[in-house]
Amino acid sequence: MLEILIYGAVSSAIYAMLAVGFTLIFGVARILNLAHGAFYALGGYSAYVFTTLLHFPLFIAAPLAVLLVAGFGVLMERFLVRPLRTSQLAVLMITLSVSLAVEQGLFITFGSEYRNVPSFVADKISIGGVDIGGQRLLALFASVMVLCCLWLFIQRTRLGAAILAVSQDPEAAQYMGIPTNRIFSIVMAISAGTAALAGVLVSPFLTVQPGMGLLPMVKAFAIVIVGGLGSIPGSILASLLLGYSETIVAYLISSSWTELVSLVAVVTTLMIKPSGLLGRRAAF
Amino acid sequence: MRRASLIDLSGAAVVVAALALTPMLLNSNYLTGVLTVCAIYAIWAASWDFMSGLTGRENFGHALFIGAGAYTAGFLATVWFANPWYSLPAAVVVAVAFSLVVGFPTLRLKGPYFALAMLTASAIMQRLCLIFWEYSGGEEGLYGLEPLILSPLHYYWFVLAILVIAVAILTALAHSHWGLLLRAIRGDEATCQAAGINVTFYKIASLMISAAFAGLGGALYAHYQLQVSPPLFSVLVSITVIIMVYVGGIGSIYGPAMGAILLTLLTEMLRGFGEYRLWIYTLTLMLILFFLPNGLIAPLWRRLTERFR
Amino acid sequence: MNAILEVQDVSKRFGGLTAVKNVSFSLLPGELTGILGPNGAGKTTLFNLLTGFIPPDSGSIRFEGQELRGLAPYKIVNRGVARTFQLTRPFLGMTVLENVIVACLSPRARDAHDKESRAHQLLDQVGLGAKAKDAVETLPYGDLRRLEIARALATRPDLLLLDEPFAGLGSSEIEPLAQLIKRLHREENLTILLIEHKLREFMALVWRVIAIDFGEIIAVAAPADIVRDPRVIEAYIGRTEADHASV
Repeated sequence: MLEILIYGAVSSAIYAMLAVGFTLIFGVARILNLAHGAFYALGGYSAYVFTTLLHFPLFIAAPLAVLLVAGFGVLMERFLVRPLRTSQLAVLMITLSVSLAVEQGLFITFGSEYRNVPSFVADKISIGGVDIGGQRLLALFASVMVLCCLWLFIQRTRLGAAILAVSQDPEAAQYMGIPTNRIFSIVMAISAGTAALAGVLVSPFLTVQPGMGLLPMVKAFAIVIVGGLGSIPGSILASLLLGYSETIVAYLISSSWTELVSLVAVVTTLMIKPSGLLGRRAAF
Repeated sequence: MRRASLIDLSGAAVVVAALALTPMLLNSNYLTGVLTVCAIYAIWAASWDFMSGLTGRENFGHALFIGAGAYTAGFLATVWFANPWYSLPAAVVVAVAFSLVVGFPTLRLKGPYFALAMLTASAIMQRLCLIFWEYSGGEEGLYGLEPLILSPLHYYWFVLAILVIAVAILTALAHSHWGLLLRAIRGDEATCQAAGINVTFYKIASLMISAAFAGLGGALYAHYQLQVSPPLFSVLVSITVIIMVYVGGIGSIYGPAMGAILLTLLTEMLRGFGEYRLWIYTLTLMLILFFLPNGLIAPLWRRLTERFR
Repeated sequence: MNAILEVQDVSKRFGGLTAVKNVSFSLLPGELTGILGPNGAGKTTLFNLLTGFIPPDSGSIRFEGQELRGLAPYKIVNRGVARTFQLTRPFLGMTVLENVIVACLSPRARDAHDKESRAHQLLDQVGLGAKAKDAVETLPYGDLRRLEIARALATRPDLLLLDEPFAGLGSSEIEPLAQLIKRLHREENLTILLIEHKLREFMALVWRVIAIDFGEIIAVAAPADIVRDPRVIEAYIGRTEADHASV
């Protein structure tokens, strides 16, 4: 029982970070970014390259990986997505192309074998009789910290207020002198950075392979739909729901059934309350 | 409602004749095989275009229907040892059933969300094939299917005939009042409702038709490859079909069919590039999205034949 | 004579805002009635409730004796209630004729064998016959309104709801459109309910006016009397000067 509680918390936290980044760029820039999973994968691979191939110490490799992917995200938004902003479907297709290109690129460069990234924290810790890898705990705490910082950033800073303004009405924000394009870039950087951080944190205990971004992408999408597109609290709530449901399913049935949790959640949400738990804007 | 003009029909006849005669002239089983795959992709592309091209509801999960048709053929062959010819109608029925199940909850959604929901559905099917590996053969899938027609050349002509029939039916529908209604739905659903049109019915019906042909193509593919495996449900297949449609000219039906044939041929010719093929595909899609959103083939054909209309 | 439309105690709230409050009225067959009210009074919401685009919170809407509440918009159209939109949204990428043919394909209109000639005839009726083959994007605003009406007529309605048909039209375009509405009302045996917030257009056109403010009916009378009704005058004080001056 405690096992489920703790492992569920780890899953939820990671998913939350992924989903929040996804819902953020959608809420602010109306971009459904299918390359979000690719950012996650690039984060994991960057960590691998920096630590295992370049032998950087972890505390340098991790931020470097995040910055690198954040920069990649900004470039993608600026040159590939922004010109096509008028059509949401075109944006979907271009981000999907990027995602496939990244996956294929990783496959070409690194091959399909699973790569290992050393843990930041190698020891196992015991909590109330439950053994849990230190890395997982680190992932949990880091995610929660990042989410809190993000929340504070948006609620308390001027830049955060600008971001909220743009998400409500980009045109009006522009009239008020807010540089919407720059806001898009900043939000993209945050979105890609958090996805990369998730990849960096989990890469020690989950596999690093070229297709690693697909399932998280599906889950992030599921969480965002269930929580409500554009709603950060909704994403967090849904991450908890899905994260814990998956952990419970993995324990009670089998781990290969966990993806079905996302499916059932998405389908149920779309059929019953398409705007999600806390969403303001419905998906139709 | 446009009637297919004489020049269009002549053009089609020339293309079909060329496609039918080429393997005879070149007498290569390899080429015949490639052309068979070309024709099957053309069926998939045309079927996608009928629904998504006309209504503007782009379906990112077409692989769902393709895989459904293919696996139906696979199950019939390896589990029930049925006569392979039963695969074709069975595949259509199963694919249409899938379209009903996913269509109802998803067609209410706006464009991008419908696209993503379909994408998710096909990805989930792929996962289910892996989860229930005892039934589906897991990663290796099902193999040991029998060919429908032993001679590769004759099977190719059979597939080509189905392609011609499919394009003819879909084009006829697109030029009929059906097509008009679907394009109106793309225009404005509220106005359609105000015009007394049952929008849901037409959306679902067009998805069913699209799925029917996709599933049929899937079964044809299964009896060509003589095996089926989970990648048939993958997003890669869906996006490949979409690229073919975009190259061909979205909404024209014949454009996507031609686009499929040309791109499949191109893929074969690029075999030497191995893993870089996917990059070439994605680059193609990006270039099309930026520079030629109306496609290449259909606009080109229309320009060339302007004087004859 | 039985009423063709009976609206009883219809209400609709959006969150804290009551858009329509206990609205009740009836229409006799063949009437030409107007709904008058300032901006934000709830007129378009009422239309949306009557035509099924929004579900009412309470009340009943009976058309030709049958309840319309709960039906999808297209079903209501096929019962014989057609509407135009204040912001016309034609089907882009098609010709003017094709825009009307779409409505001719509805179940109610479908028994006519040749859709194209019926669509032509409808376009002639509204004065757009010459532009049938034009792309709909080339139509000026005034013609788009006529197209809306043709599209609504295509479904063979018994009751026609016109949502601010004169909005945005120049003074030279208003009179011809009013004449068209009068003519159609006569020729097609329609019952017409139309929304406007400009008084002048009403005077000549409608037989009876239902005045609405803040979602409630405040007066029902003939046009000449409605302008003298103190509650109506009060509702209009503080609205635009132009409207007040046109009384």
